Amino acid sequence: MMANIKKLSLISIWLFGLTFPFVGIANAFYFFIITLFISSIWLLYKAMDIKLPAGIILPPRLKRGLDRKGARITAAAILAIPALLLPFFTDQYITNVAITAVAYIALAIGLNIVVGFAGLLDLGYVAFYAVGAYLFALLSTGAGLSFWAALPLAAIVAAAFGVLLGFPTLRLRGDYLAIVTLGFGEMIRITLNNWDSLTGGPNGILGIAAPSLFGLSLSQPAHYYYLIILLVLFTIFAANRLNNSRIGRAWIAIREDEIAAEAMGINIVKMKLLAFALGASFAGIAGAFFASRMRFVSPESFTFFESVIILSMVILGGMGSIPGVILGAVVLVILPESLRGFQNYRMIIFGSAMVLMMIFRPQGFIGSTRRRLELHPDDEKILQQETESLYDVEKR
Amino acid sequence: MFLQQIINGLTIGSVYALIALGYTMVYGILQLINFAHGEIYMIGAYMGIIAIGFFVYLGLADISLTLTLILTFIAAMIFTGAYGITLERIAYRPMRNAPRLSILISAIGMSIFLQNYVMLAQGAKDKIFPHDLKIQGGLTIADAHITYIQIMIMLISILMMAGLTYFVKKTKIGMAMRATSQDMRMAGLLGINTDRIIVITFFLGSILAGAAGVMISMYYGIVNFSMGYAAGIKAFTAAVLGGIGNIPGAMLGGILLGLIEALGAGYISSEYKDVFAFAILVIVLIFRPSGLLDERVSEKV
Amino acid sequence: MKAFYRFFIFSLALLFLISCAKKEDVIKIGTAGPFTGDQARIGNDMKNGVELAVSEWNTKGGVLGKKIVLLAEDDRHDPKEAVSVANKLVSAGVVGVIGHLNSNCTKPASRIYNEKGIPMITPASTNPEITQQGFNSVFRTCGRDDQQGAGLAKFVIETLKKKKVAVLHDKTTYGQGLSEEFKKAAGDKVQVMIYEGVTQGDQDFKPVLTKVKSTNPDVIFFGGMHTEGGLIIKQAKELGIKAPVIGGDGLYGSTLLEVAGPAAEGSYMAFFTPTAETETGRNFVKNYTAKYGEIETYAPYAYDAANILLEAIAQAKTTDGKKLIEAIRAMKYEGAVGTIEYDAKGDIKKAGYTIYTVKDKKFITYSKSK
Repeated sequence: MMANIKKLSLISIWLFGLTFPFVGIANAFYFFIITLFISSIWLLYKAMDIKLPAGIILPPRLKRGLDRKGARITAAAILAIPALLLPFFTDQYITNVAITAVAYIALAIGLNIVVGFAGLLDLGYVAFYAVGAYLFALLSTGAGLSFWAALPLAAIVAAAFGVLLGFPTLRLRGDYLAIVTLGFGEMIRITLNNWDSLTGGPNGILGIAAPSLFGLSLSQPAHYYYLIILLVLFTIFAANRLNNSRIGRAWIAIREDEIAAEAMGINIVKMKLLAFALGASFAGIAGAFFASRMRFVSPESFTFFESVIILSMVILGGMGSIPGVILGAVVLVILPESLRGFQNYRMIIFGSAMVLMMIFRPQGFIGSTRRRLELHPDDEKILQQETESLYDVEKR
Repeated sequence: MFLQQIINGLTIGSVYALIALGYTMVYGILQLINFAHGEIYMIGAYMGIIAIGFFVYLGLADISLTLTLILTFIAAMIFTGAYGITLERIAYRPMRNAPRLSILISAIGMSIFLQNYVMLAQGAKDKIFPHDLKIQGGLTIADAHITYIQIMIMLISILMMAGLTYFVKKTKIGMAMRATSQDMRMAGLLGINTDRIIVITFFLGSILAGAAGVMISMYYGIVNFSMGYAAGIKAFTAAVLGGIGNIPGAMLGGILLGLIEALGAGYISSEYKDVFAFAILVIVLIFRPSGLLDERVSEKV
Repeated sequence: MKAFYRFFIFSLALLFLISCAKKEDVIKIGTAGPFTGDQARIGNDMKNGVELAVSEWNTKGGVLGKKIVLLAEDDRHDPKEAVSVANKLVSAGVVGVIGHLNSNCTKPASRIYNEKGIPMITPASTNPEITQQGFNSVFRTCGRDDQQGAGLAKFVIETLKKKKVAVLHDKTTYGQGLSEEFKKAAGDKVQVMIYEGVTQGDQDFKPVLTKVKSTNPDVIFFGGMHTEGGLIIKQAKELGIKAPVIGGDGLYGSTLLEVAGPAAEGSYMAFFTPTAETETGRNFVKNYTAKYGEIETYAPYAYDAANILLEAIAQAKTTDGKKLIEAIRAMKYEGAVGTIEYDAKGDIKKAGYTIYTVKDKKFITYSKSK
């Protein structure tokens, strides 16, 4: 007990020392009190030695029930009904937030193919999103092409950019790949900002047409909501099929051990490029939707921060797990929105929430079931091996 | 004009090199991209301005300007070092066995947190380095101007890099650091307190970033809470360019990056200034996939 | 399962409460801009201006006998956030909006306000495209880039009588737009030695300034904001460039003086009618500095925008959007930045700029152009 108290006061004094030049003596003193309070709770919590459950906390009976396929579909249907009826009983703002959340699901699922399935850390994913958005913006304002005609084009062109990025990076591993993809994303954004004659430079492109269906212009929030739900259902379906296919298994083999995978006869080049291309095409579709919804595109929508947020959705939700990624996207859109009331404190809370969530659930909200089956998480040794095999620069 | 661009490039390049060292040392030991490192540099810059403001208020600047500057550096470096240690303790140590990408997200969260913490504490306005200190002025060499601050930045950077190299190569702790970076588990078995080595690594990386921050606050005269992000990305690029995990590589990468930026902006187009750095990086990595100086030609830390 | 039901009922109750809370008897107006992030400084400056106007009206007893509530939402100068914020303000039932700050946020947001027929007055978005969308609910209290660019070109040609100009801009809608318009208006009367963009948020401009120096210009035009402007002025001096820097309203702000320090002496910048010349302006400066400290740039515009909106409510005696828009269009308002009248597009009729110069660490009037 005495040791704890000593530790506690040391932590508080340390933080007081850290903060006082920035916030002034008086505020630092408040921090001191707050830290004392929080850290005493933390010590109490540690002393009680509570083990956090490995999965989402569900009553055992419900959990057993959920493991049956029929029950899972029913549960999904129960969740889907309010989601489908959302625009009818909420206002424009909530609908709009929901559209954003669902659009990010499409992006996160696309990135999950690259990062979660194939294990290629991509920090410039937003580049493909930008390509899709600008392509539709240009086709719509320049050639008057409709949304439906532009949608496959956006997917194809974004996929081509994916291959373009994939080729020079085939030999790169882990963090080298990360920085090159980051650079690629920034290069695309800076080019969009500077190529005035084509992209309008910093002014962006205004006056993009709304999508239409049988001559009906879909410009109400509710229309966009159903449109994006349709697109996302398609991406979920596609990603799910991929995950359970030969291709998906090949990706996982590459992720876990590239050399072994190659020895087993997997065409590494083809598979890596395919992952980049497919992931990018999802972003292209999301980008075209973004442009049609905003009716305006400009380079500041495609910053590195955007890539970071999408990556956070994938990792926070649980890499490689489609339901996890969906949850991650929804949480990371709704969390900052619901924190709006805190005004200036919003982003500071958001940042600390990210740290805390990762400390308590490093595997994400819903870890990939395949990984759970393959590697028993309780076994620390195997867990460590798993950690090492992911994105390791070199095999020791 | 060429000479002037070289001076411009070397100045900013030495600052990149100092920040890049922090990335590369942490990476060498933990294989972790310390995304919040740019914010440590930003905190260093703020501390520089806060400390010098305090010393000027005390009247120390009138007695001895050199002493004031030295004390400012020391104060800022101690604080950034403390921030670096705290960062490691809060955001990285509890996750030692977590998947590496989760630690990356924790680092990103910490970066957002620190940026907004400084914004709330110090306000969103730019902070200004006092103009009335007699450190302005400079020399003219054949049409090129070099300010005293630029000379100071280059000298201090060289000193610090030399000091770090000595520390890592010759001291016992440095040897332990190298051992830990080769194989953390083995080093632990041999009786090296690896947790302590990690703390020391964070501390060293942070004080270098802190010194870089103070120098930048003198050079540009302003700091703001969002300056860490861009500098962090550039420095990380520099570290990768040289071969991440490699100390001489980070120095070389930083200085090269500064020169590339200055010459690219000066002779080609300043609109694409940020593109040059990345373009060179991609080209280098295509031909040398693990950076200019990869692990084979020199040891990594 | 029980917990789930409880949660469900709780959420329903919460929804019910939220929908009830809307029936308060107040008048809500909104403001939106970058209140966090790297543009938080100018964003909060704008918010403070609106806040001041609202608090002054509230001490006078509100408008139409009701209290005014200001809803301030942060768009982080991200167009996507701007749309989200616009939807939020619309859903919250605001009767008018002051904002947004960045032109690229104002563009997509203005469509949402226009669909609902809510007047929007932007105090800072100078891009010409905004009022060319054909939305009748869109107004601004600042001038357009082309108006300002022409004024500055005239100043360089006729007053300063300089021939060789180096044009730099910060690659933003505002900075590039202003520089383009300046170049267009100056035509072949000046020789543009170099025309280049720099990155907003960058701090190292020495490489591009070294290039500028080698072209030996008489004057450097910079389209951008005061932080970058201050750094450019300072670093140009350090490189031994003697040509003065000239710029638009983005350069007029205390930050420029602080950043550039003694190097700022002799620079020129355009700004709206000085706040020191109107009664409202003098009072505004006094009250604002007492409450929030130094004025950055957009606070006076924001203050006037809020006053115009509230005045329109008082005159129209209703909060109906259509009537408010009519009232704003018909108004002749004597504000802190001079007389404001609107044309059919929502631009101010007379954008008179005053050229300032810096002397003894202060902005002083250099010449007036009408």
